[in-house]
Amino acid sequence: MSATTHDSKQGADHGHDHHEPGFIGKYVFSTDHKIIGVQYAVSGLLFLLLGFFLMLLMRWSIAFPGQEVPGLAFVEKLPLLGPIFHEMIGRWAPGGVVNGELYNMLGAMHGTIMVFLGIVPLGFAGFVNFVMPLQIGTIDMAFPRLNMWSYWLFLVSGIMMLASFFVGTGSVQTGWTMYSPLASTTTLAVTNIWMHGHTWWLLAMVFNISASLLGSVNVITTVINLRAKGMSWMRMPFFCWAMFVTSFLLLLAFPPLEVAALLQLVDRVFGASFFLPTGLMEGGQHLDIAGGGSPLLYQHLFWFLAHPEVYVLILPAFAILAEVIPANTRRPLWGYKSMVYATLTLGFLSFLVWAHHMYLTGMGTMMSTYFQITTVLISVPSVILLTGLMISLWGGSIRFTPQMLFASAFLPMFGIGGLTGLPLAFTFIDLALHDTYYVIGHFHYVVAPGTIFALFAGVYHWYPKITGRYMSDKLGKLHFWPSLLGMNLVFAPMFIQGMGGFHRRWYDGGKYFEQTSGVSNFWTELNSSIFGLFGMEVPNNLLGLNVLMSVGAFILALGQVPFILNVFLSIKGGRKTNSDNPWHCTTLDWATPTPPPHGNFDFEPVVVRGPYEYSVPGIDQDYFPQWEIEPGKAAPVPAGAPASAPAHH
Amino acid sequence: MADSPEEIQKSIRKYLWIGALLILFTIITVALSYVELPTHSLNILVGMIVATFKAALVALIFMHLNHERPLIYKVLAFTTVFALALFMLFIFTSGDPLVFEGF
Amino acid sequence: MDIPYTVSARPDTGLYNAKIGIWLFLASEVMLFGGLFSSYIFLRVGADYHWPVHELNVTLGFINTLVLIASSVTVVMAWASLKLRRIGQFKLYMLITVLCAGVFMVNKTFEYKAKFEHYAVKLTDGTYLTGHLPEGYEIKFGEVGDLTLTVQARTSAIDADPVDYVLPFLAGGEARFKTEDGSEIELNETTFADLREKALAKAATEGKNNAAIKLVPTSPLAFKAKPGKILGYNATTMTFRDGSIATGKLTDDSMVLEVDGVDTRSVPDAEKSLAWNAGYLGDAWKKAFVENRDHHLKAFEEKYGDRRDPKKSATLQKEAFFMHLHSATPEAGHGDDHGEKKAAAGAPAEHGDAHHAHHPVVKIDKKDIAFYSNFTPKLNTYYAIYFTLTGLHGLHVVAGALVLAYFLFMDGRRLRENPEHLANRVEVGGLFWHFVDLVWIFLFPLLYLL
Ligand code: HEM
Ligand SMILES: [Cu+2]
Repeated sequence: MSATTHDSKQGADHGHDHHEPGFIGKYVFSTDHKIIGVQYAVSGLLFLLLGFFLMLLMRWSIAFPGQEVPGLAFVEKLPLLGPIFHEMIGRWAPGGVVNGELYNMLGAMHGTIMVFLGIVPLGFAGFVNFVMPLQIGTIDMAFPRLNMWSYWLFLVSGIMMLASFFVGTGSVQTGWTMYSPLASTTTLAVTNIWMHGHTWWLLAMVFNISASLLGSVNVITTVINLRAKGMSWMRMPFFCWAMFVTSFLLLLAFPPLEVAALLQLVDRVFGASFFLPTGLMEGGQHLDIAGGGSPLLYQHLFWFLAHPEVYVLILPAFAILAEVIPANTRRPLWGYKSMVYATLTLGFLSFLVWAHHMYLTGMGTMMSTYFQITTVLISVPSVILLTGLMISLWGGSIRFTPQMLFASAFLPMFGIGGLTGLPLAFTFIDLALHDTYYVIGHFHYVVAPGTIFALFAGVYHWYPKITGRYMSDKLGKLHFWPSLLGMNLVFAPMFIQGMGGFHRRWYDGGKYFEQTSGVSNFWTELNSSIFGLFGMEVPNNLLGLNVLMSVGAFILALGQVPFILNVFLSIKGGRKTNSDNPWHCTTLDWATPTPPPHGNFDFEPVVVRGPYEYSVPGIDQDYFPQWEIEPGKAAPVPAGAPASAPAHH
Repeated sequence: MADSPEEIQKSIRKYLWIGALLILFTIITVALSYVELPTHSLNILVGMIVATFKAALVALIFMHLNHERPLIYKVLAFTTVFALALFMLFIFTSGDPLVFEGF
Repeated sequence: MDIPYTVSARPDTGLYNAKIGIWLFLASEVMLFGGLFSSYIFLRVGADYHWPVHELNVTLGFINTLVLIASSVTVVMAWASLKLRRIGQFKLYMLITVLCAGVFMVNKTFEYKAKFEHYAVKLTDGTYLTGHLPEGYEIKFGEVGDLTLTVQARTSAIDADPVDYVLPFLAGGEARFKTEDGSEIELNETTFADLREKALAKAATEGKNNAAIKLVPTSPLAFKAKPGKILGYNATTMTFRDGSIATGKLTDDSMVLEVDGVDTRSVPDAEKSLAWNAGYLGDAWKKAFVENRDHHLKAFEEKYGDRRDPKKSATLQKEAFFMHLHSATPEAGHGDDHGEKKAAAGAPAEHGDAHHAHHPVVKIDKKDIAFYSNFTPKLNTYYAIYFTLTGLHGLHVVAGALVLAYFLFMDGRRLRENPEHLANRVEVGGLFWHFVDLVWIFLFPLLYLL
């Protein structure tokens, strides 16, 4: 391409004037990957918190249906916050009681916020933006301006989601899956369809998807084209590999969801029948529609994204742990190569399994056999990843820093989540378990004590690089133990309820369905006697477990207080790090000054070895960074090569 | 490299020819659509074959996919596989065994 | 500090950044349009009606295809000229490309507009009548003697709100009412809020969480609304979407249609179609229809003998059972669809107002109407996917044209100082443009021809 040009200039793009950006240019509309990463991460954390809060309200309604939510009246009376809260939630809860409609809104928004505005922005966008360019030794993302756009589009989508609580109709009520025909036809009787929570949800998703697309294009291009000298593919830290594959999933799986959202929008706003079959009736009346569409089409489009999406949720967790675990065991990552290949396989297969969410839609035996096989196949690479991390612990002298605590809890928790997914892969079992709390238990074990724990680990791990200070160990432990306890109290009983037949979307927690919820067994008895010890009367049946789970959620909430304090207080009050590489890691992200300046490196990084050279025999420190030819001495820049990462300004 | 000035100079004529060819095949598509083949599915099949051929011309010549880097091919190969999955599996799961009645 | 490889290629990958970026973006676009095309297939395979073939304006579609192909050629020529540093040519070609985009969009606008003004009415027996609604279509309701509002204590997604849901349809009389306690009010936001509060307070004392408010208008009212804007009606009541009920008398709910097409393909026996009722098109048109049908059936038989099943030929079915009306009476007809050419190009007259006088006007009873819509996404899944696909494609055309126009008009400095970089940008913009063309290459036959 370039070799031919008349005035071939090496590398650089001239013609910018280099003026110093002001505060707004530097921290708000920044194009610096680190600032954008932090922006993403902070927004993601806030959204996680909000989603969690919505879930607390739901859990209250499940455990104590028809009873007033404590404190709701108080919050509504607060000066500024009160009216806002009233408009958002309070107006749907007369007398402080969560009713069915509010429950549905909370449920739909909890799912959406957690998945699309919480975990993906924090786990993927936040970490990848901050860490990946550092790890591959470049100065920024390939398209910094697009990167900024990506963040702001994401923020617009987040704000639209939030705003949908405030429009007249309230937010969507049809679950995060937004299944048509219900989602195409409910609450259409409004004067202005554009001022409808559902419409806003769909539009917000279009923005969100565009943001992800820009982000993933950026990440992939950066990894491909901006790796430092010597950073061959197989010397790339596993973190970058996992994020690279994640980006491909975002890039190729999200567009069908965009299609689904668009078509549903056309259905709702223009009265089309993409997802509405002929002769559809509601409330005994034929709807004013042409029909001829198919609800299945929606499910296909949705799950074509949403299955890869679950790997978008989990791969960043593996990415982070692959850095945290070796750093804290002082052992190389076990099976780096097989983990890389497993990730690639996982990414590929994840596109071919989606209809295992649709076994009950009446597909024929041939296709369901196909999907059962691919689903079971895909658990193989998952297991390889988990095994790799577990074996990495072997023979290590583990430092139980907070990040390592979270990392070590991740392993069994993810194990439970994954193993409970396996039975679901078979139609004959899924027949009984589909849409029950069992499924909810399964994926929450994967994403909550799984992914979210990994994200916490990541925060503790890179915080010193971002701020130059450690987070407090004590608060970290205070964060970890209640979280672990709370998570398990919330999610483990779901398996028991689910196998008893609890449906996943009962706003009264199943009170109405006594035949199902009145059943008792060993666990319910245990539950009720333990509460008995504290003088609380909890029924000895599946319903009683609701109380336990809600207590768990409350413990979990308390457990997050130390974390929030820790994040904020440590910015100014944390113990200072005395080196740029406080954990003694081997990857390039630790070779920069702390915090990394604009342009990142103060020397040109050249990579001379693999990413996980811990406890290498024969040298006297227990880590051997990628950029050092001998301990403490960076590799020289080979002469003549065009600069890939020029020295700082 | 195929993008040297001389090469580009040469390919200018090629672009014009391809443009003409595309127009020709558009006319053929329209004409063929009025010819009633034994079944309408056949009409669709023929129409799609012509369209694919045109699309291939655009992709190979105008978009330079006839001399692109391996990396681009790899990306596109995966995309094609997934897009095919998108096409086939939707339909296969909707009926078993398959019957095409709508065409 | 500069990002490497914005102009020259990285040696080991052989690519500059933007090139990788655009191909990745295009890959995701493939999945986007892939999703839409597979929706198309899914809908078509599952369609339970006659999928329209040759129903859109083929000429316009054909012209647009030529325009896009031409622009594809010019954009690649623009890139080549810039590579060879022939700046004048570069600018010319870019300009033509952008103009082509403009022509394309103008054509699209005409195409869409004709669709919005054209209606299809499905009768209860499955017959479709197509045509224009010279007077629009509204349910007229008069002599309203009282209005009952139901208000809910519990807030729900739709709240009783006559100000938004009832008053807009007032077509005669004033919104002045007597309330139950005898006072006279003008119904508006404040008075309604008042009423509502009082009624709910009263209901609360009775332990109910909803209440009915009865209002008696001071003078009889009339309402008029499109059927889709209200919840329902019968001879004596009209129910609005907020649940308010007006009691009075239905004055008119029939539809006046200027018929330009009769589609009996979904009727078991076309000769018994409701369309031939005396009040509607009548026997004379039926005769014309039968003649036309038999003519086509016979021609088919002569051509293929029993080698082909007439029921399986979509074209024959369309020619024989979908009659286009080109005159106000069959006698004056210039021989309907007999000429093969006309039948082939026979999109129901969308060519606008000039033809109106030449169509029979019928008044259709509400009880015979199963469904009606203009030619918008609502009409059927074909039009739904047609509008979605072409609309999204149109957005791509606009976006691509904007980008190219930016390179042409706003990037002059780069052209002077770093033309190689601009060439890269044009190449990348061009790749996107070719992709847009490529999508159209499939869209055109799938939607217009096949
Ligand atoms: C280890 C292999 C896994 C297998 C075999 C598996 C299998 C399944 C199956 C068959 C279902 C559908 C159940 C039903 O709806 O009846 C399901 C649901 C789900 N899984 Fe997994 N899964 C696995 C891993 C994961 C991972 C890693 C995640 C996320 C990070 C995840 C997240 C989910 C979610 C979110 C749902 C429910 C979606 C919904 O219906 O709302 N799964 N899983
Ligand atoms: Cu799945």
